[in-house]
Amino acid sequence: MTAVTGLILRFLFLTLLYAFLGIAVWMLWRSVVSKQARLGNIAIPSLTISTTVDGEPVVQSFASAEVLVGRSAECDFVLDDQTVSSRHARLVYNLNQWWFEDLKSTNGSYLDGIRVEEPIVVKDNDEIYCGDAIFRVYIKPLEQ
Amino acid sequence: MSAAHRQSKQPKLLWLAALFIFFYAAALALAEGISLHTAPIRPNWLYFAPYAVWFASVAFLYKAISQKLPNRDPWIFPIVAAMVGWGLLSVWRLSPSLGEKQLAWYLVGSALFWLGLQTNRLSYLLKRYKYVWLVFGLLLIGLTFLIGVNPTGGGPRLWLRVLGLYIQPSEPLKLLIIIYLSAFFADQIKPNITLFGSVLPTMIMTATAGFLLIVQRDLGTASLFVCLYVLMLTVTTQKRRFLWIIPLAGIAAGIVGYFAIDVVRTRIDIWLNPWAQATTNAYQLVQAQIAIAAGGLIGTGPGLGSPQVIPVAVSDFIFPAIAEETGLLGSAALLTLMLFLVIRGITVAQSTRTTFGRYLAFGISAYFGLQTFLIVAGNIGLLPLTGVTLPFFSYGGSSLVTNLVAVMLLLKISSEGSPEALPEPTRRPYRWIAAIFIILFTLLIAANTWLAIFQRQKLLARPENPRWAVYDRYSPRGRILSQSGEELAVTTGKTGSLTRQILVPSLSNTIGYTNGLFGQDGLELSQYQWLRGYQGTSYDTLWKSQLLYNQPPAGVDIKLNINLALQNSADTLLGKEKGAVVLLNAVTGEIYALVSHPHFDANTLAEDWDKLRQDPDAPMVNRTTQAAYPLGTLVNSLGLAAYYNQPQSAKGVLPESEPGQDRYCQAASKAYGSELSGYQSGCEQAALDLIKNLNPDVFVTSMDAFGLFSAPVFSLRTIPPVERLDPAVIETKPWSALDIQATPLQMALIAASITNDGMLPSPRLRNSYLAEDGTWLPFREGAQPVRVIDSGAALRLRNMFTNSEQAFWFQSGHSKTRDGKILTWYIGGTTEEWVATPLAIAVAIESNAPDLAQEIGSRMLVMFSAK
Repeated sequence: MTAVTGLILRFLFLTLLYAFLGIAVWMLWRSVVSKQARLGNIAIPSLTISTTVDGEPVVQSFASAEVLVGRSAECDFVLDDQTVSSRHARLVYNLNQWWFEDLKSTNGSYLDGIRVEEPIVVKDNDEIYCGDAIFRVYIKPLEQ
Repeated sequence: MSAAHRQSKQPKLLWLAALFIFFYAAALALAEGISLHTAPIRPNWLYFAPYAVWFASVAFLYKAISQKLPNRDPWIFPIVAAMVGWGLLSVWRLSPSLGEKQLAWYLVGSALFWLGLQTNRLSYLLKRYKYVWLVFGLLLIGLTFLIGVNPTGGGPRLWLRVLGLYIQPSEPLKLLIIIYLSAFFADQIKPNITLFGSVLPTMIMTATAGFLLIVQRDLGTASLFVCLYVLMLTVTTQKRRFLWIIPLAGIAAGIVGYFAIDVVRTRIDIWLNPWAQATTNAYQLVQAQIAIAAGGLIGTGPGLGSPQVIPVAVSDFIFPAIAEETGLLGSAALLTLMLFLVIRGITVAQSTRTTFGRYLAFGISAYFGLQTFLIVAGNIGLLPLTGVTLPFFSYGGSSLVTNLVAVMLLLKISSEGSPEALPEPTRRPYRWIAAIFIILFTLLIAANTWLAIFQRQKLLARPENPRWAVYDRYSPRGRILSQSGEELAVTTGKTGSLTRQILVPSLSNTIGYTNGLFGQDGLELSQYQWLRGYQGTSYDTLWKSQLLYNQPPAGVDIKLNINLALQNSADTLLGKEKGAVVLLNAVTGEIYALVSHPHFDANTLAEDWDKLRQDPDAPMVNRTTQAAYPLGTLVNSLGLAAYYNQPQSAKGVLPESEPGQDRYCQAASKAYGSELSGYQSGCEQAALDLIKNLNPDVFVTSMDAFGLFSAPVFSLRTIPPVERLDPAVIETKPWSALDIQATPLQMALIAASITNDGMLPSPRLRNSYLAEDGTWLPFREGAQPVRVIDSGAALRLRNMFTNSEQAFWFQSGHSKTRDGKILTWYIGGTTEEWVATPLAIAVAIESNAPDLAQEIGSRMLVMFSAK
């Protein structure tokens, strides 16, 4: 009788131990899902990039949270210049701001004449150099 | 997740933890009753004391953090509470007295936890006075050089004694160094991280701490510091390449340490090949692996395993102790809990506003993860052993208090978190390291599975596994009986302190012994599976007994073929002489008597052990199967058998065998009378003449057929057989045939084949076993008798070795042992005139005593027919 009781207790112990782990994992899953849902609902101030190609102005606006800049055709904003790397840099919306990040490009990127080593916040009307190519970003503030 | 939502989930986890730990405590409380098979349920209420204290303190702390830190991470506290509760009870189970101390330390830790919650300036103070804290920690370590002690008396003196309590300063130093590094790196402005500005000062401080610990031989903590430092450097510089320092420095330190520091060399040797030193240096590690194997998938049950066989299981080796009793399921859950804590901590770090908080949260999480990995990997043999504690589980007050304070800091940081994550590149190193921890912990669980499932049977069967000795105390072995049912060995005493008793001590060399200190031998060893009930009991009984009690069922009784009356008279007849007697049924091979002199007494083994081991007469050797006696002139019977077994055309002439003048011959003639032939009385000249006349190839083939070059399949350990003779050697040196060695059992079997018309039986010591339904079932074993010479040859031999008045034949022989002593041989058997069971006998006496040999031989045969 003692032994059978002991056996039941052992199985209850293991079962509840795993129930504990299971619920912890389930809570984590729920929290990730709700976080993603929240992130999906965040309004992003739209970003516009303008540059000149052969003297012709090129303007492009984006509604996504990430804009890839480079020479390759897969990029969101293509800069057709020999000094631009195929995936040169990107603009990311994070912490309520647009950030510019150099993706270890060959010739580097410059903002306000300073080489970009770390992700850096960009503001409206900033001029950015990618190699020899120049472009300007415009950020449309969110309507309150 | 909103704050309210977070709050609402946390009690659910805490309640679950409270429940599963309650069941753990309840299972522990019943364990003693289960082991002793007591019928009424009588729990040991003592286990509920630590549970109640834990429950109350967790409830209290939960209330405090709910008020102070509403935005905290919702997982960390319940996970830590669960691990602490589980750990407290595990320590208590291994040693209630240490459990009490651990509980007291837990209360100290909880009090500091609570105090830390009350102050809002803690984080500021830690950061502001980083050097003060670190220097304080280092000074404490320095103090151990001067007034350090070791609570156990020996070993490294890593503790300080304060007000009767032992404190290990290296534990708080771990946290202090994390705080210092976090504060230092947080003060650095990002682009300005330079070798001299940031890496050098921190490296100097970490190296100082590490150096102090290496001098103290606390190598586990020192290596932990190096790993922690590298991880923090990786996170602050965001350079993945720093991570390579850990394996490279590890290997370098291993190689340097191997040649410079004795402890390191021992640890590495053990790690590379634990089984080579399984009984000495690697004992702990080997026992840990066996304990994990003993746990299997579901474990032996809390309180029902034998983790106490691992030395100091309570601190460094608590993981295998828990794995044994809760199985792979329990140990994998433990590792998952710890990994969950580490990952949550790293997640907290990523969403923390202040750089200091971020680094601190990361450092604390990495510390838990690293320390767990180091100790568990050491326990299961993945890494060389480093004596660090398993956070929240291992016994050790300083460690527990430090860990609780670290968790409090982590919780405080988590409640200051910002809802937004860091920019992606800053988060990357955290992700790498989290991924590395996931890989490392998966590796631990995989290695654990390997030991607990795939290596289980192999590890449990290791001779180093002492669990059989525990089983012997709780579950009776089967009895060993003689053929007619007299008890030879029985189990006596009460469950929990059962002892084995041998009722016929003169049979000790055959029955052997089972003793927790000295191991097992004889039938107790060879019949372990039956006596212990693993064989001969139904699968149902066995399975239930192991699942419910973690004990084998009561063992199966076995009957031997030993005839106690014959055994006792052979024993008496041999008297004080050294030697052996084997009496068997010539047709079936059933062993009726097996005497080996001098013998030991299994009942007084503990008292006599040292004396017995040193005795030059080797009383622990069973001479019937383990003494290789040179055959000497007994080889006559083999030579004659070979001669008569040839086809008529090949025989040639048998040399005359007048009793010669050699020493043995004279003695034999004196004993047996002068009418015996030189062959029968074992004259040296006759033997040499015979061998010279024989075709050596025929002779060696005949000896091989008689089984001289192969060990008989037997229930007792036999010595390895002698090498096959080279016929060419016999050709050139005929006397070398006299040096060939055999055991008395082998010679008894040869005598049996001569008696049994040339058919060699296989020896049978076991008769039957008592089945569960109460019937005796015979052991089906042993090969059928094989023909070794034709029946005509056997008849000629018997006729040659007998006279008309007797119903038995015999041949006597002498030999000289390597140390120059004379050995007397006697083999014999019954003839056709015999009306009862055909018998065969072999007697070997380690002195010149042909008359005694003759007396034993003939008396034993006559006695059997008289009985």
